[in-house]
Amino acid sequence: MPFNSLKYFLFLPVVYLLFYFVCERARWCVLLAASLLFYAALKVPYLLFVLPLVAITTYGFGIWLDHVESQKAKRTLLWSGIAANVLILIAMKYLPFLSENMKLFSALFSLDVHIQPVKAFVAIGVSYYVFQAISYLLDIYLEIEKPERHFGYFALYMAFFPKLLQGPIERVGDLMPQLKTPYEFNYDNMRFGMVLFTWGLFKKVVIADHLALLVDPIYSNVYGYKGLPLILATYYYAIQIYCDFSGYTDMALGSARIFNINLAQNFNNPYLATSIADFWRRWHISFSRWILDYIFKPLQMSWRNWRNCGTAMALVVTFLVSGIWHGASWSFIVWGLLHGIYLAFSVLYKPIQKRIYQKLGIEKSKITRFWQIIVTFNLVSFAWIFFRANNFKDALYVCNNFYYGLFDLLLDLSIKNIFSGRYNLTRSLGPIDFVLLLAVITLLLSIESKKDFISSISSKGKLGRWSVYLGLIFMIVFLGMFKGSQFIYFRF
Amino acid sequence: MELQGKLNQIFCEVFDDDDIKIAPEMTANDVDGWDSLSHVNLIVAIESKFKITFSHKELLSFKNVGGLLNSIRCKIIN
Repeated sequence: MPFNSLKYFLFLPVVYLLFYFVCERARWCVLLAASLLFYAALKVPYLLFVLPLVAITTYGFGIWLDHVESQKAKRTLLWSGIAANVLILIAMKYLPFLSENMKLFSALFSLDVHIQPVKAFVAIGVSYYVFQAISYLLDIYLEIEKPERHFGYFALYMAFFPKLLQGPIERVGDLMPQLKTPYEFNYDNMRFGMVLFTWGLFKKVVIADHLALLVDPIYSNVYGYKGLPLILATYYYAIQIYCDFSGYTDMALGSARIFNINLAQNFNNPYLATSIADFWRRWHISFSRWILDYIFKPLQMSWRNWRNCGTAMALVVTFLVSGIWHGASWSFIVWGLLHGIYLAFSVLYKPIQKRIYQKLGIEKSKITRFWQIIVTFNLVSFAWIFFRANNFKDALYVCNNFYYGLFDLLLDLSIKNIFSGRYNLTRSLGPIDFVLLLAVITLLLSIESKKDFISSISSKGKLGRWSVYLGLIFMIVFLGMFKGSQFIYFRF
Repeated sequence: MELQGKLNQIFCEVFDDDDIKIAPEMTANDVDGWDSLSHVNLIVAIESKFKITFSHKELLSFKNVGGLLNSIRCKIIN
C-alpha cells in the first residue's frame, strides 16, 4: 500500500478515526494492528514473519543486555544480537548476489564447485527495521537508553507504519516517548501533517514521476545516446530521486504528525550543500547519522593514531557499507565507494583549501559558496550515474560517453534545437510540459530553501492559505501520475 | 594546574583558539571547529598528555565536556 495510492488515502483516515475513538490504553494496539495490516497489504506473506522475528530477537537481546553485569558478557550479547539481525538481512537481501559472485569466482579460478542459484526475496522495509534494531541494541549497550519492557510498544516502535517501508530510521529515545504520550487532538499538528503529506505527494506524483519520463527512456537504452542527453538525464535523475525520496519522507512525516508524532527529518536542501560532507548532513539524514555513529566513529576511533589517514580510511569503509546497504550490486558498491573517496580526499584536501581561501580572502564570499554548491552538485550527480544505471556496464558507458561532443553541442544549443528533438532533450514531453517542469523545479528549490515553509503556508491569511492548498490539489489531480509508479527507495 | 585547566589548554591547542573557556555542559556545538576530524585530534592529544587510553565504549558515549572530564579523572585516580 504505497502512500501515493487510493488505498492509503482511505486507510489513513480510517486508522486515525479508530485511533481517536478508542480509549488511551488501546491506542498502541490500533497503531500496531494498522502497521501489520499496512505491511500485509504488500502481499508478501513471509515479510509478516520476518518483522516479528527481528522484533522478538531484538527485544530479547535488549532485556538480556540489561540483566548481565560483566562487560565481557554484555559485549558478547551485543555482537550476538547484531549478528542475528545482520544474518536475517543477508538471508533476505544478499544471497543471490553472493551466490552469483561465488559462481563467477569459482569459474575464474576453475574451481569445481557447484553453486545453486538463489532466488531473490522481496525485502521491502527489512534493511530499515534491521538498522533500527541494531541502533536500539547499541544504544542499550552504550547505556544511552534503557531497554523497553512492554513488548507491544517495542513492536510498535519497530513497525510504526509511516516509517516502516522507507524510514526515517528512528532512534528509540526519539520515538518511544512520543508513542507513549497520551493523545490529545491538536489542530495545528493535524493541519501541518495534512499539508506536509500533500506537499510530499505533489513532489512525487507531479515532479518525480514526470522527470522519470525523461530519465527512463535514456537510462533504459544508454547505448542509443552520447553526450548531452546523458548529462541531462543524469541531472534530471538527481532532481527526480530527491523529489521521490523527500516526497516519500514528507508523506511519512505528515502521516505521523496526524497522530502527534514527530519523525526524524531526513532532508535539508541537500543540493545546496557546499561540500560532500555537508551533503551527507542534508541527505537521508537518519541513515547518514546511523552510519556515522555506528560504523564511522568506531572505525575512526580504532584508527585514531593514524590521524587524518585513519579518518580517510574509516570514511571509505563506511561508505562502502552504505553502498552495499543500498543494494546487492556492483553499481551500488561503486556509488558508495565514490562517496567514500570524495570524503577521504576532502579530509586530506580541506586544510590546504582553507589556507588557500584564507590567503585569497574569499573564505566567506558568496561566489565561493556558489562555486562550492555547483561543484558538490556535480560530484553528487556524477555518482548518481552508478546509482541509476541498470547495471555496472551501462554506468561505465555513460561515464565514457557523457562528454562526447560536449563543446560542439554547447555552441550549437539553441531553443530551436532543444525542442526539435535533435538531442532528445525533451523526449516524451512537449515544449510546454518541459518549460512547466523547469519552472516547477526552480520554484520547488526556492520554496524548500526557506526554513519552516510548511508552517509559513499555515500562517498565511485564509485566502493565501487556501490558494496554496487548492493549487497543490489541482496540480496533483490534473498533472499527477498515479499508475504503476513506485518509490525509488522501496527496493532498499 | 587543576584538571579542567589542563584540559582547557589542550582544547586551545587543538582548536587553535586561545579564547576557549570549557565548561562541563559544553558540547561540540558550542566550540567552533569541533567536528569529527578535530575530535580525533582532541582525543589523541588528551590520551598522550594524560598518558591514558579511552575504551571504545567511553569514546562513543561522551555526551559533553563534563563526561570527558569525569572519565579522565577516573583514569588518573586509578
